Amino acid sequence: MNLIQYILTRVGSYLVILFVGITVTFFLPRLMPSDPIEGYINQIQTQAGQTMDPAAITKLRQSLRELYGLEGNLVSQYFNYLKKVFFEFDFGPSLSGFPKPVSEYILQALPWTAGLLGVSIIFSWLIGNLIGLLAGFFHNTRWATGLEVVGVILYPIPYYILALVLILLFAYVWPIFPLSTTIRPGPMSIGKIRLIVYNSFLPALTLVLAGFGWNVLGMKALSFANKEEGYVQFARLKGVPSRTIMFQYVAKNSFLPQITALALSIGGIFNGALLTEILFSYPGLGLRMRTAIGNGDFNMLYGTVTISIIAVATAALIIDLLYPFFDPRIRYQ
Amino acid sequence: MIRLNNIVATYSTVRGQVNAVDGVDLAIPNGNIVGIAGESGCGKSTLLKIIYGDIIYPLALSRGHIDYGIESNKGEITTKDIQQYWFKRISYIPQSSMSSLNPVVRIRQQFLDFLEPRQNKKAILEEIRDYVKGLDLPPEALDAYPHQLSGGMRQRIMVAMGTFFKPDIILADEPTTALDVVVQKGILLLLMDIQEQMKNTILFVSHDMGVHYQISHKMLIMYAAKVVEFGDSDSVFKASLHPYTKMLIEALPTIGDAHQREGVSGRPPSLWDNLVGCRFAARCPFATELCKTEEPAFIEHQPGHFAACHHVDKVRQA
Repeated sequence: MNLIQYILTRVGSYLVILFVGITVTFFLPRLMPSDPIEGYINQIQTQAGQTMDPAAITKLRQSLRELYGLEGNLVSQYFNYLKKVFFEFDFGPSLSGFPKPVSEYILQALPWTAGLLGVSIIFSWLIGNLIGLLAGFFHNTRWATGLEVVGVILYPIPYYILALVLILLFAYVWPIFPLSTTIRPGPMSIGKIRLIVYNSFLPALTLVLAGFGWNVLGMKALSFANKEEGYVQFARLKGVPSRTIMFQYVAKNSFLPQITALALSIGGIFNGALLTEILFSYPGLGLRMRTAIGNGDFNMLYGTVTISIIAVATAALIIDLLYPFFDPRIRYQ
Repeated sequence: MIRLNNIVATYSTVRGQVNAVDGVDLAIPNGNIVGIAGESGCGKSTLLKIIYGDIIYPLALSRGHIDYGIESNKGEITTKDIQQYWFKRISYIPQSSMSSLNPVVRIRQQFLDFLEPRQNKKAILEEIRDYVKGLDLPPEALDAYPHQLSGGMRQRIMVAMGTFFKPDIILADEPTTALDVVVQKGILLLLMDIQEQMKNTILFVSHDMGVHYQISHKMLIMYAAKVVEFGDSDSVFKASLHPYTKMLIEALPTIGDAHQREGVSGRPPSLWDNLVGCRFAARCPFATELCKTEEPAFIEHQPGHFAACHHVDKVRQA
């Protein structure tokens, strides 16, 4: 077994996950009893307030089916869909923003979500674990107990409650931050970056705080347990300075399960990010998804859900591939 | 010479204080392998902790002091500052090498991480490589992670760590217990070799009287928080002065002798009780009324051979 085989197995299972996820997103809406085309035609007829010529309706139905990839039987639709998603990154035109293609909307929203999510995951994971490490390593001090209490209070609060509390406190009671995100398009400049940071601060804070408590508690328990391990005791008896014990011995061993936990929780964090975006009207994927549901924009919904699946699976794959660098006991098998 | 002056080591527990080592007073001459034996809970490990200066709550040195007989540039080393000389003047080889090495850090890094940060790591690493080669270890072992080495190799690494700085005193707490007999023999021979070259004092704890017979120059037998016998291994094994030692040795099997061995029946007294008289009296075949009321003193019965028993003569004749 070697490195290449290890990577190939991981990438293989990654592709299977993507395939299953995308297949489910394709079939699930098609199990619904309603037909989007008939619904659309009915809507036009009601709006027009009169019955249309049956021949015109048939023609309309035909062209709509072609436009939205709904012609042919289910199997050919499915393969057509797979081909378009995997090879052309094409989800068809947006129904509500016709004729702009969905992929263009997604590419616009993606950097916002990726930026928000990336920054907040890094902060909540690193800071949370660092605090947990300190609290576990110095577990018998008063401030360590205080930090644990903060963790216990924060971790059960859901994203949406935390977001609402922050909006209430920092956008309404003390209007330090904007109530919703307003960023005009335009070229990048220092002023614009400042504006982005200012506007993204509250949503990011929500995500950081929500993920924070769990990291603190997990890391505290891990490092507290690790402190009692034979190698830590022996290091102490060797006269290893306690800073080295904390980072080289306790931290290095305690971080391993936390890396796994991060990979497992990325899906949940992503969900939280989508909700948070909606509450802050933050121009990312979550808001797109929300408006797509409101407008009945099926193509947009397909696109955003598919890209979410790809994003979560890719993040987990990256962590999986990096894991052997952190734990030498993992073999490439 | 390490002089233990009436050492009393106390653990604080919820039930109150208990003396795990209760009045140990003896002098260990330099350059010996001293075997420490006794059953579980007799205070062997606590005594080692006290000597090593690893005295943290709930353990406390409630009476007595230790003269290590080691000079540093700041004067004689005491229990208070011995921690600064850990692994330089006094070192410790733990029982399980399996769990005593950090699984995610290379061995060479674990060799280096207790050095002063300003020391030249590269030069020292070269020295370590040379030293390790001399201990029958492949030099690549230093670049490995602990899980890549066998149990015997790991224990050799521990021995290498403990002896690299040529410490004056080495404390070994059952260093071979977790190993199979062949590997065990290798480690024991290695320790003996090192001791012969460096002439340091090794305090060697083991339950295995056979191991002691092989390597110890002197024997120290503990029973219920007290030292009951101390002397040269030869005279302790051939002419024990304390009935407990005698019974321990008689329980050893010998090759070619097929008859059933007798264990030492009964249990040691609880250290929580108010102990009067000889602590071994309840299990002792020689015990008399005197033993139950008066504690025997730890006396030098022959030159260099100490024992705490009222009936030394009877034990010798038996």
